[in-house]
Order: sequence, then structure tokens, then C-alpha cells
Amino acid sequence: MMRVIQNALVMIAMLMAGTVVAQPIGDREAGREKSASCVACHGEVGVSSNPEWPNLAGQHPDYIVHALQAYKSGDRQNALMNGQAADLSTEDMRDLAAYYSSQDAEVYTPARTSR
Amino acid sequence: MKITRSAALTALALLMLGLPGLATAEGDISAGRDKAYTCMGCHAVDGYRNAYPSYRVPKLGGQHAEYIVLALKAYKAGDRQHGTMQALASTLSEQDMEDIAAYFASAGQEESE
Repeated sequence: MMRVIQNALVMIAMLMAGTVVAQPIGDREAGREKSASCVACHGEVGVSSNPEWPNLAGQHPDYIVHALQAYKSGDRQNALMNGQAADLSTEDMRDLAAYYSSQDAEVYTPARTSR
Repeated sequence: MKITRSAALTALALLMLGLPGLATAEGDISAGRDKAYTCMGCHAVDGYRNAYPSYRVPKLGGQHAEYIVLALKAYKAGDRQHGTMQALASTLSEQDMEDIAAYFASAGQEESE
């Protein structure tokens, strides 16, 4: 009985993981080709040289897309990024997100600490 | 003499390893851990999603402390639109931001899980 429950839980977990993977995130290789102006600040491997600019390597792709959309719409005000995001299509953003999120992770979700 | 020199070099190397975390952030990691308690409700939950629009909240562990401070200031100033983050950032002093940023930049690295 335990075994059955365990198997069911594993299947549910796999299904849930699948829904995340199945989201339209973009083409990593196309993202690499479109990243020419990004790498100047965010680095070729998603690690920025200036600590005022975020590391992107391993960041959630859907968050990267959201951030780029916010820079494009003006919900985020930043002299550099407003200009950079202005000409990006949604597809461009997804491709760039796929590229940076797939790099060796520099950022991670920290463990919750007890107080 | 040779041993002294290699010991000095080792010490220097260790110092340099420590420096990025210590020298770049004026924040206090330990104070930041306490002040980040609210943040962890979302940012320490792997895959936690912002409700609308739906996207996973950013991973902040290992992020540059300076960038985190700039982002928090932008939320506080209204240069970044996000209801929850603007409300939370508005309660933070600059010292709070620096402490929290220092904590996230190093989170988990100073302690084994």
C-alpha cells in the first residue's frame, strides 16, 4: 500500500515538473545569437563584471521574460535597460531567457533559515 | 623562509576569496538574515510563483549585493512597479537594504545545509 502511494506521488511530481518544462520558453541557441549586446554587461556566461548589474546565469526564464517586458513597458525605469528592451519582441525575450537560464547557475534559491 | 612565503600567499589568497563578499557589501550578513525573514516567504520557496502575471519569483542567492540594493531602492522610489515589492521596500531603510542584500549575496554559503 505504501508502495502504491509512493509511486502515485512520484508520478504526480513528474507531472508537475512536466508542466513547468512544457511552458514556451524559447530557443536557447537563438538566444545566444541575440545576446550580443547583453553580454557587454551581463557577461557571456551570465555573470556580470559590475556588481550593479545582475547575474543572469541560472535565473528563472519566466522571471527574465517578465523583467524584460517591464523594462519595455516602462513598469521598470532604468536608463540602460529601457533602451535595450524597447526593440525586443516577446520571442526575442523568450530566446534570451532560455539562453541565460540554461547557463551554469550563478544564482539560486536560498534555503529558508529558522529564526 | 619559503614556508613563510607560501603561508603568506595562502593567507592572501584566502583574504581575496573572502573579499568579494565582505568588501563589496557594507551590509551585515547576520543582521540581514533576521531582516530577510519576510523575504524568505517567497524568495526561499523553490519555484514560488508571482500570482499575476504568473512567473517564478527571482532567485536571489548568489546575486550581487549592489544590484539587490539598487532593485530595492527602485521599488521604494516607484521606479519598479510591483505592489508587494513596493510595499515591502517602502518600509526599509538604506541600511536594511544593504543588510538584506549582503545576506542574499552570501545565503547558504556561510553555513552548511
